[in-house]
Amino acid sequence: MLFDSEKSKFETLVKAYSPELYRYAYWQCRDRFLAEDLVQETFTRAWQAWDKLRDDKAAKSWLYTILRHEHARLFERKRVEIDDGQELDDIVDTASSSAYDQIEMRDALKALSESYREPLLLQVLGGFSCAEIASMMAISEGAVMTRLTRARLALRKMPGLNAGRRMKAR
Amino acid sequence: MNCFEFRRKMLASPGERIREQEQHVRACAACERLAKEMESFEDSIHDAVLVAVPDGLAARVLLRHKVRQPAPFGVWALAASLVLALGLALQFHGGFYEEENQTAPAIARGEHHAAVAAISYVLDYEPQLLEENRTGDPEEMRQALGQLGLKLPADAIAVRYLGKCPVVPDGTGEHIVLRTAAGQATLILVPRRPVGSREVITHRDRTAIVSPARAGGYILISDSQKTIRHIEKMLM
Repeated sequence: MLFDSEKSKFETLVKAYSPELYRYAYWQCRDRFLAEDLVQETFTRAWQAWDKLRDDKAAKSWLYTILRHEHARLFERKRVEIDDGQELDDIVDTASSSAYDQIEMRDALKALSESYREPLLLQVLGGFSCAEIASMMAISEGAVMTRLTRARLALRKMPGLNAGRRMKAR
Repeated sequence: MNCFEFRRKMLASPGERIREQEQHVRACAACERLAKEMESFEDSIHDAVLVAVPDGLAARVLLRHKVRQPAPFGVWALAASLVLALGLALQFHGGFYEEENQTAPAIARGEHHAAVAAISYVLDYEPQLLEENRTGDPEEMRQALGQLGLKLPADAIAVRYLGKCPVVPDGTGEHIVLRTAAGQATLILVPRRPVGSREVITHRDRTAIVSPARAGGYILISDSQKTIRHIEKMLM
């Protein structure tokens, strides 16, 4: 019975977090198929190490951390070729804001260096605080704040980004 | 808090505004303006990172998870069967030939046969998939059909379910539930993988045809061989 309740808890986690983990994975590797593989592998490893999850409240950051490690392992094994051409037509979700603005912002996000983009994604997608991001990335909270500040400044300065131009013009 | 500190905080963590920031923004018009601009800027970042999530992702994660647990009729067993069957198909392609109208019972082929595994998958998991009422990517389905030289006549066939088939290796298979005037059938497309020679298999009150087609093959499953043949003609 205990196993069943753990399984049910695991299923709840899968249903709750697979979309945002997929999005995080996508921005890490920028490949839809690889992103799904990363999510699959993340949950497989999570289940294998299920007994290490002591606090249910920490499950989300634990899953993100596993995914980060899986992505790093993947890059150790092989350099992932990013096909920039495949994505924008396929992934633009036109349900929110204008699709054109989204494309500009996505281009700008892609152009950010990984060290800036990663904490920004953890904050925007995962909703993690600076302290939590610091713990996940094993860097100081001050370093996280600096990277987030620079990420946003860089995004605002990106050529072609309407939001940036609008803000600058005022 | 001065303007510099306020802006640094806003840029680092616009969502976590502390009391000192609230006080500052009430007293400083320039920072108040910046705060408003940052809200819209944050919205645009948030919208941009929300890329579309593939349909059925959580279901596929759970299916793959189930496959790793020992269960006599778990998806893993079925997936392993299909992987094995598809692998053996390459080796023995053309090695045995079944007459078009001759039907083999599952016991003659074993549970590792692709058609037997596909029937078990349909009977054990399809009802749940139909309840979830998800729809996969029609373009991927069209591509897979095209690779196999098949077509779905829109006036005669309705797609009731479309999704990735987890029992086909690498997740490249398409699982389509079709409704026609002749009855309902499940079509599993296996692009770019050999499926062996054509065979008709019966198992657990279902009949399946596994057939090679151009670059790959397909498995068509229904409750009668007559329905399968009828639907198969429509696909050609």
